[in-house]
Amino acid sequence: MALAIILLIVIIGSVAFNWLSPWWFTDIASNWGNIDTTVFITFWVCGIVFVLVGLFMTYCVWKFRHKEGSRADYEPENSRLEWWLTAVTTIGVVAMLAPGLVVWDDYVNVPPDAQEFEVLAKQWTWAFRFPGEDGKLGTADTTNISMDNPFGMNMDDPNGADDVLVPAPRVHLPIDQPVKVWLRSIDVLHDFFVPEFRAKMDAVPGMVTYFWFEPTKAGEYEILCAELCGVGHFSMRGHVQIDTQEDFDAWLDAQPTWAEMQAGITPKSYSALAMRGREVAETNGCFACHTLDGSVVVGPTWQGLWGSRRTMTDGSQVVVDGPYIDESVRNPADKVVEGFAPVMIPYDLPDEDMQALIEYLREETGAEDPMSADSGEAAAPADAVALNESGASNQG
Amino acid sequence: MAGATGGHAAIIQDWSSDITVFKGVPWGKAMMWIFLLSDTFIFTCFLTGYMTVRMTTAQPWPSPSDVFALEAFGYPVPLLLIAIMTMILITSSGTMAMAVNMGYQKRKKEAIILILVTAAFGASFVGMQVFEWSKLILEEGIRPWENSMGAPQFGAVFFMVTGFHGLHVSAGVVYLLFIAWLIHKGRYDNTNFEIIEILGLYWHFVDLVWVFIFAFFYLW
Amino acid sequence: MAQAEIPYQEDMALHHPHSWVTKYWFSQDHKVIAVQYGITAMSVGLVALVLSWIMRMQIGFPGAFDWITPELYYQSITMHGMIMVIYLLTAFLLGSFGNYLVPLMLGARDMVFPFVNMISYHVYFLSVIILMASYVVPGGPTGAGWTLYPPQAILTGTPGADWGILTMLLSLAVFIVAFTMGGLNYITTILQARTRGMTLMRMPLSIWGILMATVLGLLAFPALFVSAVMMILDQLIGTSFFMPSVVSLGQHLDYSGGSPLLFQHLFWFFGHPEVYIVALPAFGVVSDLLSVHSRKNIFGYRMMVWAIVAIGVLSFVVWAHHMYVSGMHPYFGFFFATTTLVIAVPTAIKVYNWTITLWRANIRLTVPMLFAIAFVITFVVGGLTGLFLGNVIVDVPLSDTYFVVAHFHMVMGVAPILVIFGAIYHWYPKITGRMLNDTLGQWHFWVTFIGTYVIYYPMHYLGFVGVPRRYYENEIGGASAFYPESAALLNETITIAALIVGAFQFMFVYNLVVSYFRGKPAGDNPWGATSLEWRTPQTPPIHGNWGDKLPTVHRWAYDFSVPGAKEDFIPQDVPHDDDHGANRT
Repeated sequence: MALAIILLIVIIGSVAFNWLSPWWFTDIASNWGNIDTTVFITFWVCGIVFVLVGLFMTYCVWKFRHKEGSRADYEPENSRLEWWLTAVTTIGVVAMLAPGLVVWDDYVNVPPDAQEFEVLAKQWTWAFRFPGEDGKLGTADTTNISMDNPFGMNMDDPNGADDVLVPAPRVHLPIDQPVKVWLRSIDVLHDFFVPEFRAKMDAVPGMVTYFWFEPTKAGEYEILCAELCGVGHFSMRGHVQIDTQEDFDAWLDAQPTWAEMQAGITPKSYSALAMRGREVAETNGCFACHTLDGSVVVGPTWQGLWGSRRTMTDGSQVVVDGPYIDESVRNPADKVVEGFAPVMIPYDLPDEDMQALIEYLREETGAEDPMSADSGEAAAPADAVALNESGASNQG
Repeated sequence: MAGATGGHAAIIQDWSSDITVFKGVPWGKAMMWIFLLSDTFIFTCFLTGYMTVRMTTAQPWPSPSDVFALEAFGYPVPLLLIAIMTMILITSSGTMAMAVNMGYQKRKKEAIILILVTAAFGASFVGMQVFEWSKLILEEGIRPWENSMGAPQFGAVFFMVTGFHGLHVSAGVVYLLFIAWLIHKGRYDNTNFEIIEILGLYWHFVDLVWVFIFAFFYLW
Repeated sequence: MAQAEIPYQEDMALHHPHSWVTKYWFSQDHKVIAVQYGITAMSVGLVALVLSWIMRMQIGFPGAFDWITPELYYQSITMHGMIMVIYLLTAFLLGSFGNYLVPLMLGARDMVFPFVNMISYHVYFLSVIILMASYVVPGGPTGAGWTLYPPQAILTGTPGADWGILTMLLSLAVFIVAFTMGGLNYITTILQARTRGMTLMRMPLSIWGILMATVLGLLAFPALFVSAVMMILDQLIGTSFFMPSVVSLGQHLDYSGGSPLLFQHLFWFFGHPEVYIVALPAFGVVSDLLSVHSRKNIFGYRMMVWAIVAIGVLSFVVWAHHMYVSGMHPYFGFFFATTTLVIAVPTAIKVYNWTITLWRANIRLTVPMLFAIAFVITFVVGGLTGLFLGNVIVDVPLSDTYFVVAHFHMVMGVAPILVIFGAIYHWYPKITGRMLNDTLGQWHFWVTFIGTYVIYYPMHYLGFVGVPRRYYENEIGGASAFYPESAALLNETITIAALIVGAFQFMFVYNLVVSYFRGKPAGDNPWGATSLEWRTPQTPPIHGNWGDKLPTVHRWAYDFSVPGAKEDFIPQDVPHDDDHGANRT
């Protein structure tokens, strides 16, 4: 008896939950309304089956519960009923499958007028590349990647020179224009997912994958990574802004091309120890997460790092100096800068390497002239006190 | 009789009758067949993996006739060693089949001798494999993670698959010797010696797998 | 050539125990081995339960427990998933139920090779030890997710990428060895060692489920074994099976030319049949529970058998429905969506037949029956949501969201576990000779059934909103469109429900222990069941099960409420001219 009532509550509750709960698809912002339609068809077919089977069972549990002297029927099988049920089920399955396959056909066939762009995924951030005026993306390969060539552009490919590179996880796309998204990953599996667009696809290292969609609603949307990609998976977010064609063009023009980026790379001079520190930073892959140009990818930027004051997640404030850097490298989880996730893995560097790295950071990111290295070590604490009093902070 | 009435109904009837599905098949034999079916899937997966990486690798695949050439009378003869190894294994299948036959004739002594001959063939196969591996590793510098002739996957799949097969052969040799010893001790005197047939099933399977490995690695 | 003699269980030589160690630890008795499997699986399952608390606490109350780091969170989801799927569900349904029920239900004295059977358990035990060793190796267990996708699983950005992943893969390989030894025994026993009169079409559906699941296991686990070997080589000696050229956290690694997709294909070639390795024994057992406790034959027995076989065969051609957005060739989508939805037909038939069994039945709402009915409704939800994810285009917005998490927990988490509970309440009297406490059982049922429904039903809707699975934290820098404030509230609710449901499982363990000593004596056949395990001369059955003579079977296992018969059940070994006054034609 109690079971029959609970079953009834479960069924009615499930249906009511569906209508009353606030959780449903976000408002669609792409052409993939068809996907929603297939979901609705599936939803209705399955919902009806759920309610019918559930109610039938509830009725049986209530009606045929054991009573004194009652006895069950003896009915081993009933071929007619069984074949009939099989046929009805088959019809239901076809009703869901057929429209699904039609829409999938749309999904995998990219319209010829689609504009291309590339998403480059890496732990744990996004970068983007647009073909330049020639309309062709230059070839690229993971093996070419270096600090000065974060996209792994192929130097021999003339098509690549005018490619527009967007190293930060923020991209713009024009409205009402189909886009074909090429996906590349340099390390592990990732998945480019914007819930409002419905579409998604994995980025697989060693392969180039693709999908397409057409943004239909202006606005800013969050890009999520939907394939577990390591400890920072959940923090791998980005933003896509859907603009009018003019705004998009203006934005694109403001981004550097690969040729411009190459021209802008000027070697800087460091002391011998700092040169070594730069090598340490490169070989340990620090630049995968920390930039020197002020943009934020995974971790805090190193621009203006030395001597600056940073707020931690627990509200405390720290002035960046040698011991702090040492601690942050060896035990990154101990002090985490506000607004960042505790995803950095500890690096147990040898002491010489650590000294070199600290010296490099002091010369590269400190405010004063890097050549007056000798006074720097002593000056830093004094600076810190001054900063503390003035309350200035580089970290927003 | 199923054959008399025919049709799928009779087959189902036969299969589903009580006590046993496979009439007259001892438990051990049934178990060995099922095990070999499962093992087939392992080798199939290995070979599928091999074919996949051969397609995905970015570097050219080394030519097997160069890699596996052996110097004989001053000339490089392609696949010489492999041909000998294959012959040995096929011959061992023959001696194994004879051992099974002897077993059913209750000629215990002959059966034991033939099993030991089979084991000797198996051991020599493994020995040649060791020779082949050492040649590849020491002389040609092939490693699982790299080689000078092209795709690093070449060494990886070669050592993995032939190694796994070699383990099967080695285990088979131990199994042969163990059973030969048990037969000698009289453990199976009251049976029809179907244990030799079970042993044979395993041994023929290992040979059969080798034929596939031979075709996929050396001839492709 | 002389026809080889048919070995027969009648003459089977049994190795009777001589000491405590051979009786309870190195025992060759299938019933002891079954209990060993059960206790080990349940213990490791409790570890998985605690791990699920850790992850739920983080999801429900992000930031409230600062000892739950991202590393711990990812390690917990990984270990929870793998333990539940392999070391609990597979081991329990096949290792424990398979071992206990196969010989008893078939009228056999034991498995055909008791020694191999014994080794099987101890190798399984070893695999559990290796798995748990993950917690003491440097770096802790792997945090790669239970799917262990490379390259991520062996790169530094993932917790446990150097030691944890190796212990995990090694443990899996060892488990597969254990399973193979057990599985060969189950199949050979079922095919070749039934008692007189026990035809295949008279076997209880539990045995059919176990048989087909074991066949699937023996053919599917090889793929996992091979991928484990390859990944161990990739990690340990630097081969490139699954590894293309990568730049891991800024460092070029010495890999090139491997295929991450190859791993996914191998993994899911194992992984999808694995779903049915868990589901089919549960299907079989629940059919028997429904039939016994509703005092009615299972409806459409032959159809049920063919459905089990059809599902088993089809499960080998649907694996890539886990990979619709993996970057494999998109045209595969058409094929795998079709095969996947075809599987829905035999599965639906099973559901219909379970419910029709209840029609005009005489339903006794005992605790096992409560669990069985709860299984059906849970499985209906889980099965129907599978139609969303199996239909390739519908999967696109939902894959890798909480919809997937909710779906597979319903269909292969909660549903089989409800069956395991029901089965334990059902067979505990046979195993121990005592009944489990009914009041505790009722509490256990209501909290588990309602609790799990509250946990997983709303979770589907998080998936619709677009909340990705495996996120340590959803809100970074303020609320997002995909994670409204209300979703956080929902997650809190789910977490609280999960904590309560989890706590009640410890009460169940308490019930198991206490009832062993103080439970009501059960008698030989407390439920009035017909299958052979209830017809042993002793309860609990002794080593060898059947005394001098094996039982002879005269009828199927579902002669309940036969018209004209005096009692409402006729056991399988009762001859037709003696069935309580009425012959069945």
